[in-house]
Amino acid sequence: MFVFALRRIILFFPVLFAILFITFTFGFFAPGDPLEIQFGEDYVLDEEVLARLRNLYGLDRPFWVQFGDYVWKLAQGDMGEPLRVGRGKQSIGEMVWAAFPISAQIGVAAGFLLIFIGIPLGTLAASKQNTWIDYIIVTGSIMGNSIHVIVLAPLMMVISVIWLPDFLEQIFGITWNNKIPIGWHGLFSTRTIMPVSILVITGLLTTVRLTRAGVLEVIRQNYVRTARAKGLLETRVVSKHMLKNSLTPVLTSMGVTLSGLVTGAVFIERIFAIPGFAGMGINAFQSRDYPVILATTMIGASLIILANLLVDLGYGFLDPRVRYE
Amino acid sequence: MSEQAFRATKVEDFEEVKQRSLWLDALERLVRNKTAVFGLFVVSIIIFLAMFGSVLAPKDYLETFMRTDRDPSTVCGRAVCPHEGPSGEYWLGTDKVGRDILSRLMHGARTAVFAAAITIILGQAIGITMGAVSGYLRGIVDDVIMRIVDILYAFPDLLFAAFLSASLRTPIVEFMGNLKARTGWEILDETIIIDYIILFGALAMVNWSGTARLIRGQILSLREQDFIRAEIALGVPTWIIIRKHLVPNAIAPLVVGISSSVGGILLLESSLSFFGLGIQPPAASWGDMINTALPQWRLYPWEVLMPGLLLGIAVFGFNYLGDGLNDALNPRQIRR
Repeated sequence: MFVFALRRIILFFPVLFAILFITFTFGFFAPGDPLEIQFGEDYVLDEEVLARLRNLYGLDRPFWVQFGDYVWKLAQGDMGEPLRVGRGKQSIGEMVWAAFPISAQIGVAAGFLLIFIGIPLGTLAASKQNTWIDYIIVTGSIMGNSIHVIVLAPLMMVISVIWLPDFLEQIFGITWNNKIPIGWHGLFSTRTIMPVSILVITGLLTTVRLTRAGVLEVIRQNYVRTARAKGLLETRVVSKHMLKNSLTPVLTSMGVTLSGLVTGAVFIERIFAIPGFAGMGINAFQSRDYPVILATTMIGASLIILANLLVDLGYGFLDPRVRYE
Repeated sequence: MSEQAFRATKVEDFEEVKQRSLWLDALERLVRNKTAVFGLFVVSIIIFLAMFGSVLAPKDYLETFMRTDRDPSTVCGRAVCPHEGPSGEYWLGTDKVGRDILSRLMHGARTAVFAAAITIILGQAIGITMGAVSGYLRGIVDDVIMRIVDILYAFPDLLFAAFLSASLRTPIVEFMGNLKARTGWEILDETIIIDYIILFGALAMVNWSGTARLIRGQILSLREQDFIRAEIALGVPTWIIIRKHLVPNAIAPLVVGISSSVGGILLLESSLSFFGLGIQPPAASWGDMINTALPQWRLYPWEVLMPGLLLGIAVFGFNYLGDGLNDALNPRQIRR
C-alpha cells in the first residue's frame, strides 16, 4: 500500500505537467488575442503599440519558449502576473491567496453538510425501502438536483427577499427588511447561509443515492441477518456491518462531489458576488487572461488528483479484497 | 413402477425451463415501480416533443412577434413587443426580442434530447471500453489508460468543456466551410449544425472519464470473485469474460451513472450557455433561454422560470427513470 501511494504521488507530476501542457496549448491556439479582448472594446490600438505590448508580456515568442519559460518560473514558485491591467498590481499568487480560502470554506462547509445529511438520509431511505419515507427522501433530493443553480438562486432570492418579508408584514405585521445576501462576510455570517444551502440542495442527490444503493446491496446479506440474530443493537448493525460495507461507492463519489462543489461554486460565486477561486477562474477565462487560467486550472486539478488518490487508498481500507500491486 | 420412475428422469422427459433474460426480467420489475413509470412518462413526453415539437409548435420559433395589427403606441410604444405576458395568442408570452416562448421551449426539447443521446452514446462507448479493458488487464495498460483518465478527470468539467468549445469553433467552422465548398451541401454551413457538433464533442469528452473509472472500480472488485476465477481456470478467452460476465455484472452502477449523467449533461449545456458557449441564440435551447432572461429576473421572472422548470422536470424525469432502472437491474435488492 505504501509503494502504491508512493507510485501514485510520483505519477502526480506527469499528470499535472500534461494538464499544464494541454491548458497552455489551448490557450496559445485558441481564437481571441488576450490583449485585443482587453483593449478592443474601449480602445483602438495601432499595430505598433500592440506589438510593443506583446513584446512586454512576452507573447511574441515561439510556443515552446513561452511554455518553457512558464514552467521554469512555476518550478520556482512564481505563477506570474495577470495580463489584466488597471486592477491594482496584484500577482497571481496574491490573488489565489486571497480568493482560495473563501471558496475552500464554502466548499468544505457544503461537503460536511452533504456527508452529515446525505449518508443518514440515504441509510434511512434504504432501510425503509418503498415506503413514503423512502419516496420523500429520494424525490426531494432528486428535485434539488434537477433545478439548475442559476434558476434556483434567483428563485430563492425572490422568495426570501421579496415574498417572505411581504408575507410577514401582511399576516403578522412584522417588518423584516431582508437584504439580498450579496458578497462575502465570513463563513459564519448569515449571508453565507443561502450560497452554502444551495450547494447542499443541488449536491445532495449523489450522496443519498449511492448510500441508499450501497445499503440496499448489503441489507439482505446473511451476515447482516446474523448480526441481528445475535442480538446486536440496530444502530450497531447499521454502523458496523452495513455502512462499512456499503460506503465504497459513496467514497468514490466524493472525488466527483469535490469537483462538483468547485464547478457549482462558479455560479454561486457569480450570482452572490463572492470573490472566490472558482469565479476568479471563470472571469479569467472570459477575458482570456491565460496566466490566471493556467494557475486556477492547475490548482483545481491538483486538488482533484489528491482527492482521487485518497479515494483509491480508501478503497483498500474499506474493501480488503482490493489489492494494490 | 421403478422402471417408470427411472424413465421419467431421462433428460428429454423434463419440460424445458423457459430461460428468462436479464432484460425482460428487468422490464417487468421496472413496470411495477410507480416512480420509474412516472420517470418513463416524463422522458417519453420530452422525446415526443423532440420528435414532433416543430410540427406542434403554435408559432415559428424564430419569428419575432410584430404588432402590426394594433396601434404600436398603445401596446409598448414599438412595433416589436418584447416581454409580453401570457395571452391567448402567446400562451407563455414572448421573450426579449418578441419570440413565442412556448414554441421555443418545444424546439428546445429537440436540442436537449439530441445533446443527451449523442453525448451518452459517444461518451459511454468510450468509457465502458476503456474502463473494462483497464480494470481487467491491469498492469501497464491500466496505468496508461488511468493516467489519461486522471488528466481528463482532474480538469474542472466546466472549464474543460468551455475550453474545447471555445477553441474548437474556428477549426470546425473552417472544416465545414471547406467540406461545403467541396460537396455543395448547404446543410454543412448551418451555424446550428456547427453548434451541435461542437457542443456534443465537448460534452462527450468531459463525460467518458467518469464512466471509465466507475467500470474499472467495479471490475477490480468483481474479478476477485470466485466465478471469474472459475472462468479463468476453465480457459475462457479474456474478451468473452469481459463481455459476458464482467460488463453485465458492472451494469447496475453504470445505469445509475448514465441516468445521472443525462441530467448532468442537460445542466452542463445550460452552464455553457451561462458563459455564452452553448447553442447560439437563433437556435432554441433551454439553457440559452434561461441565460438570456437571467439578467432581468427581477422584472420578468417567468422567463427564467419557464425554461428553468422545464429543464428541471426533464432532469427529474431522467433521474427517476434511472433510479427505477437501477432497482430493476439489481435483482438481489428486490427479494425481501
